Amino acid sequence: MTEREILLKKISTYQFAAFDLQLFLDTHPHDQKTVAKMKEYRNMAQPLIAEYEEKYGPLTKRMTSSNHWNWIKGPWPWENEEDC
Amino acid sequence: MFVYEKKLQYPVNIKQTNPKLAKIIITQYGGPDGELGASLRYLSQRFTMPLPELKGTLTDIGTEELGHLEMIGAIVYQLTRGLTEEEIKKAGFDDYFVDHTTGIYPQSAAGVPFTAASMQVKGDAITDLHEDMAAEQKARTTYDNILRFCDDYDVKDAIRFLREREVVHYQRFGENLRLLTDKLDEKNFYAFNPEFDKNCFKSCMKKK
Repeated sequence: MTEREILLKKISTYQFAAFDLQLFLDTHPHDQKTVAKMKEYRNMAQPLIAEYEEKYGPLTKRMTSSNHWNWIKGPWPWENEEDC
Repeated sequence: MFVYEKKLQYPVNIKQTNPKLAKIIITQYGGPDGELGASLRYLSQRFTMPLPELKGTLTDIGTEELGHLEMIGAIVYQLTRGLTEEEIKKAGFDDYFVDHTTGIYPQSAAGVPFTAASMQVKGDAITDLHEDMAAEQKARTTYDNILRFCDDYDVKDAIRFLREREVVHYQRFGENLRLLTDKLDEKNFYAFNPEFDKNCFKSCMKKK
């Protein structure tokens, strides 16, 4: 795995943990412990997302600190570094 | 509306091509128990659902299934990229190739194009939730069947993740069914359609 892929996997891990708890909260909306845990995972992903977007370009369609429209820059999610 | 995140829900990183396996796995892209049908089923059923929990769960799972569709597309793409004509012929991929080259087309393993005939939106929350639970189990079995033909760790890893999600979704739909029936008259849940007969909820009956 490249450095980019390792960082993306870390982000995905925290995001997935938060996402799965959100799905649980859909049927248990008053479970405060789960709300707290979900927020904790979401917060753990935040600085990693900022680091990723600074280094490799945006994960959602918007401008990063660069003046270039980096959105279209590969690799896209189904590709790896060799594809582009 | 929907916002795209430029990442897969779970990474797919396949090093070894395998067109024969791609032809099996594509069934989860556009086959009868695939991710496209799953997403369309849930995102369509939600419009007439009676409870906030049901609307939320169907929206969120329906959206997640779109992410799974993307993962399956990525798996099929990576299993078939850079193939030679020789490899295509040897693997028996020529029948798919003649129609789609190595493009990703929503079809079943047997080559039947995607059809909404394999799913239902019944407009009855009890009926639809039972359909959804069955759909998750059918997809789980399909992933189990796919795993029988996988010997590549990279493919197995992604397929196992998707299989596990079917089990979790089944659980969430089961909770929704309980939440719904808890609010209905326990003497006969089936006397009314909870999406159409709005007065069938216990909370409405007390008011009378």
